[in-house]
Amino acid sequence: MDLNLAPDDVAFQQKVRAFIEVNLPDDLRRAMDLTTAFLNEPELGYEWHKILHEKGWSVPSWPDEWGGPGWTPVQKYIFDLECARAGAPVYNSQGSRMVGPVLMHFGTQKQKDKYLPRICSGEDYWCQGYSEPGSGSDLASLKTKAEADGDNYIINGQKIWTSFAHKSNHMFALVRTSSEGKRQEGITFILFNMDTPGITIRPIIGNGGDHEFNEVFFDDVRVPKAGRVGEENKGWDVAKYLLEFERGGALVAGRVRAQFAKVVRLIRTRGLIENVHIRTRMGEIGADLDAMEMLDIRLLSVLQSGASPGANSSMLKMRWSSIRQDISELALDAAGEDILRWEPERPLYDALQLPPDEEELLGLAPRYLNYRAYTILGGTNEIQAEILGKHLLGL
Amino acid sequence: MDLQLETEQTILAESADRMLSETYNFRDRHSDMSDPSAWQDDIWRQFAEMGWLALPFTEEEGGLGAGMLEISVLMEAFGRNLVTEPYLTTVVLAGGLIAAIGTPEQRADTLPAIGRGELRIAFMGGAAGNASVEAKASGNGYQLGGARASVIDVPMAGRLLVPARIDGGTGVFLLDCDWPGVTIRPHRTLNGGRAADVELAGVEVPDTALLGGLEDAGDAVETAIDRTITALSADAVGAIARLVEETVEYSKTREQFGRPISKFQVLAHRLVDMKVAEEEARAVTTFAVLSANTNTTTRRRAVSSAKSKVGRAARFVSQSAIQTHGAIGTTAELSIGHYVKRLMIYEVLYGSTAHHTELYAQIIADPDTASAGLLLSPAA
Repeated sequence: MDLNLAPDDVAFQQKVRAFIEVNLPDDLRRAMDLTTAFLNEPELGYEWHKILHEKGWSVPSWPDEWGGPGWTPVQKYIFDLECARAGAPVYNSQGSRMVGPVLMHFGTQKQKDKYLPRICSGEDYWCQGYSEPGSGSDLASLKTKAEADGDNYIINGQKIWTSFAHKSNHMFALVRTSSEGKRQEGITFILFNMDTPGITIRPIIGNGGDHEFNEVFFDDVRVPKAGRVGEENKGWDVAKYLLEFERGGALVAGRVRAQFAKVVRLIRTRGLIENVHIRTRMGEIGADLDAMEMLDIRLLSVLQSGASPGANSSMLKMRWSSIRQDISELALDAAGEDILRWEPERPLYDALQLPPDEEELLGLAPRYLNYRAYTILGGTNEIQAEILGKHLLGL
Repeated sequence: MDLQLETEQTILAESADRMLSETYNFRDRHSDMSDPSAWQDDIWRQFAEMGWLALPFTEEEGGLGAGMLEISVLMEAFGRNLVTEPYLTTVVLAGGLIAAIGTPEQRADTLPAIGRGELRIAFMGGAAGNASVEAKASGNGYQLGGARASVIDVPMAGRLLVPARIDGGTGVFLLDCDWPGVTIRPHRTLNGGRAADVELAGVEVPDTALLGGLEDAGDAVETAIDRTITALSADAVGAIARLVEETVEYSKTREQFGRPISKFQVLAHRLVDMKVAEEEARAVTTFAVLSANTNTTTRRRAVSSAKSKVGRAARFVSQSAIQTHGAIGTTAELSIGHYVKRLMIYEVLYGSTAHHTELYAQIIADPDTASAGLLLSPAA
């Protein structure tokens, strides 16, 4: 048992680090530093995605048949770590981490040929139509209806919390095609263009001031059945597959650690190492992060050996979401009265032209507020606890 | 990079847990704890027969050459089974320090005897850098003076390792407990173990009593204490794991309102939180175990990280276990309370939770350290 990287992986790490150092533009770094939302703006992510795509690194977790670089789980982990450390933006994870794997597993050849290259290149930006006002944790209760009409479905209903729907050209959605039998048995997984007539997008502004989420309304939206993935009424199986699949992709210690290091710098700059409360919380959160990273590495070790991650990704999600919040809270405490000042325009990096340390302060309260969503989105921590209770403790 | 135990280590874990749970029937121990000087010699002999007392020493010294990982596997079994035998102080701390800096004669005089179960040595110190004794040159040797309260495992020990301030450095002396000037007043500890208030008044010791002849062994002492904390953290993980297991088991069998209490969501979620805390405690302890032989900064960071995190996990799991058991959780009759007390001792030995959170904070306050991941390049 050891924490040592194999010499090949050390060389890989150095290669990746060098590439990022040379190719990640400073203005993208600054913009990421000032990103207060959950996900960074698509335009920002696309700049970096294009650079990675040219290198063949834009879809690290994909098989090489579809443009993946053929990395091991450890190499993928190292790549994510180095990108996080450098503060590189992320682009359309819904596309590469959700639509991509779903199409590879359930899609027709035509669908794969049509969509996968465009996710790889980044030309398409995908949003997710899952949650509804009446269906959050209880997703199976969803009501947005898709009625068969010849070669099309006609969709009526509403989705909510759709990240960057306003900047997406495609959506993947779960819709109800039958109300008979169990609720899960009437759900269908479908893809369609966001410029289809009848789709209306209404922004949802978060407490942090960001426009990230949206309501999406469907009024007699006619979409081709050719966009359906898998059989009609078998969409829940597709969704479940995605959930299992995502479990291997939950290793975010690098991103959390980058957030933590930034706050450590902030604490130093403001002379707050001397403050025993701040110092103690910094120590506690750091130790929590060490434990969490070890859980990540243990899961990586399992993935590397080819075994299934099981319910451990729920445990990781509970911890990294809480730790992210703790770090944002520590930053808030370090900022003190400086949080009173508010810059309303978003994104902040377009609104501001100030010295870096002044700019940074303006992002702290918005980020703290936005980060309250970490324990809610992606499966609330209470739902994760339900999953762990059943699968880990047999309750 | 691999975090899976090897077969031998799994076998050690399982056989230790089995042997200890048979030997250490909880009710027997509970009835035994009223006598502060009672000593279970036959259990110590069993440890010797299993090879455990010689585990970390070199083959020349009669040992099995095992490392921190094997020690931690064994310690977790000790924690699971509420072992109060002085394995940590004699084998890990005293044995480890003597093995590291003792002269060949000092090592030959102690380590094989420890391995055979014939010698136990206590350590008159706590957190690193806190020597309570002062040594002055005296004739061909030294004179020691000082006192320390509640030194654990002294009543079972024949000898004492004493860190002492010498002229600005820290030297370590090996004494017999019955040397003139040494006063030992034993008392019971919180968890049924034994400790003593130790006073040294004008204790004359020969220069051969100074470990390695080193008047400044501060770094070696810190290293030995770090290894001790790491081993003790594994013990704590074992205790935490048993608390979680017993509380989950209890919740599934205890019925109220016509169903097991585990069906109530607040309790189910609390059990999950306890399990998560256990996994975090185990994970950070593994970090400390795997960092035992790296550079000082990484080792110090990992050890204080573990002590801080495991201490907080221990307290949370302890309180939650009692709460979930309801009224019976507050009684001495249930094993729950005994694990809780063991973990209360964990929190204060070799530096408290707060002390190590502070040490850790000072290390992590360097942004480069804060941002560096835990996977090591072989050069590290």
